Amino acid sequence: MNQSIETALSVSNICKSFGSVQVLKGISLDAHRGDVISILGASGSGKSTFLRCINLLESPDEGRIVLDGEVIEMKHNANGRLLPSNTRQVEAMRSKLGMVFQSFNLWSHMTVLQNIIEGPLRVLKRSRAECIEEAEQLLHKVGLFDRRDYYPAHLSGGQQQRVAIARALAMNPQVMLFDEPTSALDPELVGEVLRVMRSLAEEGRTMLVVTHEMGFARHVSNRVVFMAQGVIDAQGTPDELFEGLPTERFRQFVASHNQRAND
Amino acid sequence: MDLLQLLSFGEHGWGAALLKAAGMTVLLTLSALVVGALVGSAVAAAKLSRRRIFRYIGDVYSILFRGIPELLVIYLFYFGGATVMGAIHHWFGGEGFVDTPPFLVGALAVGLISASYQAEVYRGAYLAVAKGELEAALAIGMTWGMRIRRVLIPQVWRYALPGLGNVWQMTLKDSALISVIGLVELMRASQVAAGSSRQYFTFYIVGGACYLILTGLSGRLFNIAETRVQRTQRRNPNA
Repeated sequence: MNQSIETALSVSNICKSFGSVQVLKGISLDAHRGDVISILGASGSGKSTFLRCINLLESPDEGRIVLDGEVIEMKHNANGRLLPSNTRQVEAMRSKLGMVFQSFNLWSHMTVLQNIIEGPLRVLKRSRAECIEEAEQLLHKVGLFDRRDYYPAHLSGGQQQRVAIARALAMNPQVMLFDEPTSALDPELVGEVLRVMRSLAEEGRTMLVVTHEMGFARHVSNRVVFMAQGVIDAQGTPDELFEGLPTERFRQFVASHNQRAND
Repeated sequence: MDLLQLLSFGEHGWGAALLKAAGMTVLLTLSALVVGALVGSAVAAAKLSRRRIFRYIGDVYSILFRGIPELLVIYLFYFGGATVMGAIHHWFGGEGFVDTPPFLVGALAVGLISASYQAEVYRGAYLAVAKGELEAALAIGMTWGMRIRRVLIPQVWRYALPGLGNVWQMTLKDSALISVIGLVELMRASQVAAGSSRQYFTFYIVGGACYLILTGLSGRLFNIAETRVQRTQRRNPNA
């Protein structure tokens, strides 16, 4: 498969229900190397669930995930649920997908530096000296080198999120997944996190970003996916979507966001 | 004889015996605490399990060990243990009465009682752990063992520490009950000293003071440990 060299991540036909509510009704998405894909949608549209299905924090009921040409092995169990059949493979896959959470989720009993070296040191089994050296470079990059020995509770939300990004980057992931990374932040702290994300996009990182930041979607990402009621309602380049307003739902979504911005 | 002579470390004094007995009390309590930590965390895990049968087993354990008086549990273990060991002894052709080692029985009985209380402490601590931090460990590709070792246990430990301070004190005092099966710990030594010297009140006061010193010292230790652990949670690092 020649295509796999270009395609960093390919997910197809992801379905997921919670009880009787079908949250995802067959979502497919290919991310090429260097793609920055913004996933938009009203709350409840299933966009976070979709992102969490990609690294199997939620197990999808149906679907196929291919990372770097490698198909993640999944099997139906006796109850008909689809479950990953190779734990090792799933762990290896997760280590190649850097996840940034809405609520940061830094390990509160570890300092900033310890948070960042934990993954490469324990999961990738690299040498401590090497991990520390790289962690320090990453801390310079996110502008928090002077906070390396602080505990997460001593940092602002924006600082914590930048550490969380550095922690994910320390694994040198194939694809970065951002789950509403600025939604839990005070408005004045959003900018510092978006600046770091923009610099990653400019470096050519492959990124999937679930977000409400229209500015980021429009000006930083090269593709926008709009989800509504468990399906992809519209997708394309930012211009195609924001200039073309291809569907009625997307038009309404943009209108309501502009409304809010003007309030 | 005056008090100083009674408590002296010389030939007619009880100082050395009491000191040795206090050491035994600490050793017994520590052993019971370790037994309680191992069994208690297993019981907590059972209570938190998704499988109903495990939750049921965990609940039954709590009901049994918290609902029966400590003294009765100790007797059950002591005489039950003697019966079992006697049966094994006879099976292999031995004769006569077999003694059960009182330290082992004591550590086990007090430990299993301690476990029923520790289980509640661990269960509460687990529920207090921010689940997002465990999810982050999952998302970075950690194995099950790493997630437990590197994230879950340090966090549970932090939330469990204040409750464990209480359990430790209870266990320390429960260890006095082991005197009934003949282990010479602080309580038993006080009794013996009191009986032989006929200075009952004096020696029970001294015994009580020794327990107070032990609980006081360990309370201090737990406070220090708590302050250290809470350091990571304080908002201002320079305060």
